[in-house]
Amino acid sequence: MGRISPANRTFVVAYILLVGLPLLGLVGVLRSGRGLVAPISVDGVWKFVTDGPNPPAGMCGKSLASIQDSLVTISQSGSRLTLTLNNGSTATGSGVIERTSLNATVPLSWQPMNEPGCGSNTVVMLSATVNPKAEARAMQGTISVNDCASCSTVNYQALRQTRSGRSEAH
Amino acid sequence: MPNLFTLVLQIAVILVVCRVVGGLFRLLRQPRVVGEMFAGILLGPSLLAWVAPHFSDYLFPPSSLGYLNAFSQVGIVIFMFLVGLGINPRELKGQGHAAVLASHVSITAPFVLASFLALYLYPRLSDDSVAFTHFALFMGAAMSITAFPVLARILAERNALGSRLGTVAIACAAVDDITGWCILAYIVTLIRAVKSPTPIWMTLGGIIVFAVIMIYGVRRLLRWFEIIYTERGSLSENLMALMLLLVLASALCTEALGIHLLFGAFLLGAIMPKERHFVRYVLDRFETITVTMLLPLFFAFTGLRTNIGLLKGAEMWVYCGLIILVATVGKLGGSMLASWLAGMGLREAAGLGTLMNTRGLMELVILNIGLDVKVISPALFSMMVLMALVTTFMTTPLLNAICPIRIAPKEPAGAEVAVAQLSMKSTDTSAA
Repeated sequence: MGRISPANRTFVVAYILLVGLPLLGLVGVLRSGRGLVAPISVDGVWKFVTDGPNPPAGMCGKSLASIQDSLVTISQSGSRLTLTLNNGSTATGSGVIERTSLNATVPLSWQPMNEPGCGSNTVVMLSATVNPKAEARAMQGTISVNDCASCSTVNYQALRQTRSGRSEAH
Repeated sequence: MPNLFTLVLQIAVILVVCRVVGGLFRLLRQPRVVGEMFAGILLGPSLLAWVAPHFSDYLFPPSSLGYLNAFSQVGIVIFMFLVGLGINPRELKGQGHAAVLASHVSITAPFVLASFLALYLYPRLSDDSVAFTHFALFMGAAMSITAFPVLARILAERNALGSRLGTVAIACAAVDDITGWCILAYIVTLIRAVKSPTPIWMTLGGIIVFAVIMIYGVRRLLRWFEIIYTERGSLSENLMALMLLLVLASALCTEALGIHLLFGAFLLGAIMPKERHFVRYVLDRFETITVTMLLPLFFAFTGLRTNIGLLKGAEMWVYCGLIILVATVGKLGGSMLASWLAGMGLREAAGLGTLMNTRGLMELVILNIGLDVKVISPALFSMMVLMALVTTFMTTPLLNAICPIRIAPKEPAGAEVAVAQLSMKSTDTSAA
């Protein structure tokens, strides 16, 4: 057995330090990361079903009706959400999810109905509680209009249809 | 049925914007691919849909995007075949310790740093439908990739392909790409196995059997292409069609096995004969339509999925900055440190690190796969696209600062040189 040259020794030491040790570190990271908790997944296409008459009574009833029985696409990045109404308007809003609680707003600037007192500054607010244990992910909550005492508040249930949101452009 | 008017209009607009922006970036002494990547982002929600939403809806209605995606995927399948064709891991032989250490560290350093960053980003940018292991491994693979064709082109422009820096960089990039795609194939298999009724051992077994058949069986048959080319000086249209058919068949096999179309195309390219003139001939036949038409469609489709508007607030930009920092420190710093420890001069080592930090189109390909299999969120996708742009953009000016003196050319050899030389033929067909 010949002696290892200084250049080879440096190479072996450098290889252990720069390749071997980091790989051990990777194993440690993968183990410790298993305990991390990420926000509940709500990404995908949701079918909204609202309770009560259609359109709802009160101001902005027609605007709220456009969400009734429609599909809503939720795109999720961590706790941040982007909602797109698939009711022909492609209106988009934003929201957040904290634990099982979802809150989102969708501006009605797209709404062409020009209901009195329900102008382009009106914002529809969605709040819901997500049931993470349901076999098909579901949520229930309320839809209301901001700063409008005479507007209706509508209860709704929603069921996730698919998780196709991320694979599409836009 | 696709709306042909819309589809043709889309292709025309994409080609014009990519040529114009790519040309402007050439004036900035940047590879055209950086400009084309940027052009794609301009056509998406980050700019066009933001400033002219009605025109954007007219030009890119959601119902039309499936056809655009199909075209771009065909382009990427052929492109991955060409990337595989251009790389030759045998180049690593004879490069000594510097190349071995630098190539391995340029994978492990960004991979491990990215997995550490994943500990921070997972609770913030992912959700509980993605396992942490998949998230961390994907981040590692995405950050450790190098854009082999861009690297070869930059070296060719600097007459540095035959230099020590050039040969080591080419060898490292070849090893990086092969390793990176193997790791990515494994990760995609893991992710898809969760939802697949087929046991993972069966999927992995199938992939190994396929790879063995390709490397030890099909590879021998592929030599006939080179033999016929050497005898006749060209390949008939039927033989070129057969080659394309083999690319598609290999791509379909890997897709059916549960990984992705692109792995099959890449593998077939990697096992093709590597004789320099043969490689150049095949590249010449396939590259023009792929690079000038199909790749811009891919850039546009990627741009349509990239929404910088999702990066709302300082917090999101901090995440983006961290991603760029970790990617650069891991790739540039890791390669530089390794090659310096292995005996390269500091300036040369820094040059190697800078070259290895080039990600380009290869990064976009990986990110699109990640978004398709839902291992990364739209906001993280946008941040990673920005990282790919920044790290590719910084390569030329950094290299100019580190190695300002043109290195004397030597006689280059090897298949990858053909890639670069072909890229040099015309700025219009620069390899991505």
